[in-house]
Amino acid sequence: MAIQTQYFLLLSAAVFCIGVYGILTRRNALVFLMSVELMLNAANINLVAFSFHHGNLTGQVFSLFTMALAAAEVAIGIGIVLVLYRNFEDIDVTKAATMRW
Amino acid sequence: MVVDIAGFQVADWVALVPSLILGVTAMLLFIVDSIEPRPGTSSNTVLAGLSTLGALGAFLVAGYFLVLGVGQPRGTGAVDLFNGQLVVDGMSLFFVVIVGSVTALVTLASYDYLEGQEYQAEYYGLVIMAATGMSLMASANSLATIFVSLELSSLPSYALVAFLKKNRGSVEGGLKYLLVGALSSSVLVYGISLVYAASGSLQLNAVADALAGGSSVPVGILGVGIIMVLLGFAFKTASVPFHFWAPEAYEGAPAPVSAFLSSASKAAGFVVAFRVFLTAFPEVGGLAGGDPMVDWVTAVTVLAVVTMTVGNFAAATQEKVKRMLAYSSVGHAGYALIGLAALNAPDQGFVLGASMMHLLVYGFMNTGAFLFIALTEHWGIGRTFQDFNGLSTQAPLACAAMTVFLFSLAGLPIGGGFISKLYLLAATAQAGSWLLGAALIVNSALSLFYYSRVVKAMWIEDPSADLEVDSYPSSLYAAVVIAAFVTFALLPAFGLLSPSAFDAASVLFG
Amino acid sequence: MAGAFDFVPAIAALPLLAFVVSLFAGQYMPKRGAEAGILATAGSLVLSIWTALTVAGITGSATSYNENLYTWVAGVADGAVTLRLGVLVDPLTALMLVIVSLIALLVHVFSLGYMNDEGETGLPRYYAGLGLFTASMLAFVFSNNLLMAFMFFELVGLCSYLLIGFWFREDGPPSAAKKAFLVTRFGDYFFLIGVVGVFATFGTGLFAPITEGGTVVAESFPQMAEHALEDGESFFGYSAQTWITILGMLVLGGVVGKSAQFPLHTWLPDAMEGPTPVSALIHAATMVAAGVYLVARMYGFYLLSPTALAVIALIGGFTALFAATMGVVKQELKQVLAYSTISQYGYMMLALGSGGYVAAVFHLTTHAIFKALLFLGAGSVIIAMHHNENMWDMGGLKDRMPVTYWTFLSGSLALAGIVPFAGFWSKDEVLFEALIHGFGSTGTLGTMFLVAYAMGLLAVFFTGFYTFRMVYLTFHGDARTDVARDPEPVGWNVKGPLSVLGIGAATVGLINMKPIADLTGLHIDFLHKWLLGPEEGGWPALTSTGLHHYEELMHNVAGIDPAYPLGETTTLLVSALVSLSLALAGVLVARSLYNEPEPVEHTDKLGGAKTLLMHNYYQDEYQVWLAQGVTVPLARAADKFDQGVVDGVVNGISSVSLFTGSRFRRIQSGVVTNYAALMTLSLVLLLVVFVVLGGGV
Repeated sequence: MAIQTQYFLLLSAAVFCIGVYGILTRRNALVFLMSVELMLNAANINLVAFSFHHGNLTGQVFSLFTMALAAAEVAIGIGIVLVLYRNFEDIDVTKAATMRW
Repeated sequence: MVVDIAGFQVADWVALVPSLILGVTAMLLFIVDSIEPRPGTSSNTVLAGLSTLGALGAFLVAGYFLVLGVGQPRGTGAVDLFNGQLVVDGMSLFFVVIVGSVTALVTLASYDYLEGQEYQAEYYGLVIMAATGMSLMASANSLATIFVSLELSSLPSYALVAFLKKNRGSVEGGLKYLLVGALSSSVLVYGISLVYAASGSLQLNAVADALAGGSSVPVGILGVGIIMVLLGFAFKTASVPFHFWAPEAYEGAPAPVSAFLSSASKAAGFVVAFRVFLTAFPEVGGLAGGDPMVDWVTAVTVLAVVTMTVGNFAAATQEKVKRMLAYSSVGHAGYALIGLAALNAPDQGFVLGASMMHLLVYGFMNTGAFLFIALTEHWGIGRTFQDFNGLSTQAPLACAAMTVFLFSLAGLPIGGGFISKLYLLAATAQAGSWLLGAALIVNSALSLFYYSRVVKAMWIEDPSADLEVDSYPSSLYAAVVIAAFVTFALLPAFGLLSPSAFDAASVLFG
Repeated sequence: MAGAFDFVPAIAALPLLAFVVSLFAGQYMPKRGAEAGILATAGSLVLSIWTALTVAGITGSATSYNENLYTWVAGVADGAVTLRLGVLVDPLTALMLVIVSLIALLVHVFSLGYMNDEGETGLPRYYAGLGLFTASMLAFVFSNNLLMAFMFFELVGLCSYLLIGFWFREDGPPSAAKKAFLVTRFGDYFFLIGVVGVFATFGTGLFAPITEGGTVVAESFPQMAEHALEDGESFFGYSAQTWITILGMLVLGGVVGKSAQFPLHTWLPDAMEGPTPVSALIHAATMVAAGVYLVARMYGFYLLSPTALAVIALIGGFTALFAATMGVVKQELKQVLAYSTISQYGYMMLALGSGGYVAAVFHLTTHAIFKALLFLGAGSVIIAMHHNENMWDMGGLKDRMPVTYWTFLSGSLALAGIVPFAGFWSKDEVLFEALIHGFGSTGTLGTMFLVAYAMGLLAVFFTGFYTFRMVYLTFHGDARTDVARDPEPVGWNVKGPLSVLGIGAATVGLINMKPIADLTGLHIDFLHKWLLGPEEGGWPALTSTGLHHYEELMHNVAGIDPAYPLGETTTLLVSALVSLSLALAGVLVARSLYNEPEPVEHTDKLGGAKTLLMHNYYQDEYQVWLAQGVTVPLARAADKFDQGVVDGVVNGISSVSLFTGSRFRRIQSGVVTNYAALMTLSLVLLLVVFVVLGGGV
């Protein structure tokens, strides 16, 4: 017997919240990006689970797109983190706060 | 599949030509750059010319299609492509017109702005790539294509904001844009996954069909999904509460990029929001009558009012002109949201059409205003209001253009912004939403205050002794003047364009 | 075939063209723009005469004309007011057109002598002003509705301002111009409210109904008011009678200001700072007549309100006497004439108020002629005296400038009301009408008329006195200064207009010799017949501005009827004799006091009254006090309110906004983690509000 879908929902929600928690508490830009990855993967869990639930492949296929885009995002992100380090000598996201108000 | 365009029987993908032009242009830029023997030596003229031509081509073809009736009831009817993953209709063409024109102005202006900068080919490539993404957003008809095209426009934008690698402001703006964007896109994709969970489909019409069932729909999951999707789009349109990136990104970015993002990117975000909420969720929101399952219309109303207010009030107290414009851009997102908020009006097509027209006018006046800032950055003038003192003594033409932009943004009858705001006000009146109407009026009045500060500085204050403008960059000037002319011309010509907007909008309401 | 009526707009358009030509091309012309003005006014005169002949039925069949020519604000909704420009021509219009264009032509010619020959600069501006004035005045005269009349009424006021201040580099003229502008504007303010009131009440400002093929297509407001009165309607909570009175009094505000009636007469003596031809044209013959003309134009409206009539009569009678007494002590030639003008317009108001429509129009006509004459004569004297206006420096000019003397004498006899000069006939008729209507009308109205009559009668004596005091001091006796002994000669362009007007002043009274007509049974009361029209049909039926209609209204609505305490003929003769003997008495007293070689001032005999009269009854002083003592503090208080309360609220709102703005921007802390926190927070908030509380879960 298959696991009921609400458990997948709970799992994905938990992963999503862990991701949010990471974003809110960690200052390291790389950890920030990793937390975002967690949130995206939480969505992937949903997509795959409900793809199974609904009996179509749309969700599974879309999760592949999501992964690819997440990778692209990280690629850009790492590039920006690199220039961040060059300009601010740090990758603490709270340090880059010259513009405000 | 064959459609009839101007009497020719052509394959249906021809309707997608405006987006294809942009995509091909991006590829051409890469090719041009890669056949140069040494990296980074490609001619600025070639690159800027090619980009401008591509953007202009997309703009012209989209406009021509709009005139021919492609994708519209009087012509071919909406053209579905790839099993409904993409659709070409009046609204998509209308927004490609906006994106194309803004992109053309921005690339034209960038020619002077990038003089002497490194990585020019990458810059133009990224701009056109992002524009391609935006034009696809206008056509995207499935949550999957929406997400992909949205990312296609977002990812180059992050890099563009951080383009000035040795400028701390640019890098900081890019970082914040990236981080907020990453968070937002994960919220969006999670929302999409929940909508998929509730409906079992990603294609918008199929989602609508699945949700029309009623009792079997898991409303809780759907509600969370819809709100998260809404916030995902709020990021793209720089609406509260996902607007936090905007002031910093616009302030830090090279001014042409700010112009591009605040005009084209915002418009693209709106077209996606319009299409998703009006194609997939009309019944959920109670637009087809009956009680709403998830009252997203009210949610948008709240966001619209808060966005207007936060944007304008924060803009009123800024010291830097560019940052003031950034906040004003947030405020204008609030105005455009009226198109989704005032939908209990009897004539929904009018409400949405008013919002579309506002985005069109806004595309020109806001782009122009930011390009004027690009001009001042080119001259090396400071960023505060005082630095603009007496600028009209040195550059009267540019200052006159800026005055047109600012007053039109404020809604004075000197440009199309007057009529579009008037239509928005009429839309709120039709919907009987006094809250939206009052917010619109109060915020417009307030905006007049801070816009006129710039005008006062330019025309009335005395210039400081060392204010000197040594060059008059022709392409930047041309872009500013064209934008000013169009902004002004949209005042009398508003009535020529508004029918196509209203028609395109009405179609979405069946 | 195009008749005279098709060219009526051209009567005003020609001087307007002259205005443009003088303004832009005047400096290239030999006479600095006078040519354009003379040609244009001559053209206007010809067209006016043609129009008058047409009205008389001599050159065409139609004898009246009323058309809307141009719509400048079209009312869209049902019952909305439409604003138009149009032309109304009836005998009153035709008469006034002839008078205005005749005097304008003569004044233009006279200006050649007074301005060009004296080597004035800025003449294109002068002739442009005259041209614009003439155009506006003529357009005012043929206006077919109240709003158009108001607009041109204001335009003539503007021209008056510009021309009084012609010598703007001196001290006096600019201040006099401002005073004239402000004082008349004060009255026009009420007029404007009245215009709005008329439009709001009746939806039209037409003086006379417009007919097409015998059917009325647009009603006039006097008629509508009449119907409303008959039907006992009420407007805005007032009975029709009261409301008509209110509207009439509001419009009367403009009339009192423009025609220099008490208490808004103070600007006219100061207006004499302007060039003398301007005084003749604007401040004697035509513009000042605009007020009186307006009352005559909408006489059918005023007749509906006995209260308004009584007020008009009393203002007129009082002003006639009041101004005449001030004229007695003045030392400057033009000042005497200015007060005389005020006084004479008082007579016209008296006539209108007491139901003497024909008498008022008659006196308007004769006064225009003889007062223009007197001013031009004074101008001639002023040229001769090298712009010294003090009569005590003159004397003995009779022999040195005979043309001026004889014409001036003709005008003076007319002004004093000595038979058979023009003023006698008209003034006599004014007083006669006031008298018989005073006896015939019931209740207080009759009493009011008699009071006004008494004041008017008394003024006749003073008129005779000050007129001949002026004549004797100026022309008789010995020359008291060197300049007077050897005055500068004047040219044909001065003598010509004087001669024309001099003959006119002697003869124009012949158009309506009512006493003679009544005595002999000859039908020589031409003006009466002119304004009466045919008994049946004709223009009175079309425009309802005929005398028959007015007499009916007088009888039916206002309750004004004639009564002859001594029988009709005897009353007429006694009235004429009384006024003539009073006038002669005035002349004789002046003769005994001043007709000597070395006249001396007798004003000291007046004692305290002299000071009072010299200071014009302290009219200026109390008005200045009103302005400075009452209005300024009031304005200060309003300013305080505006600055304190209104601006305070506005400033408060803006500082609250800016404060709020400065709080809002603090949200943008610059730290991206805070942004993420706020975004998450708002996401949760939205989820709670719209999903959990919205009944989703």
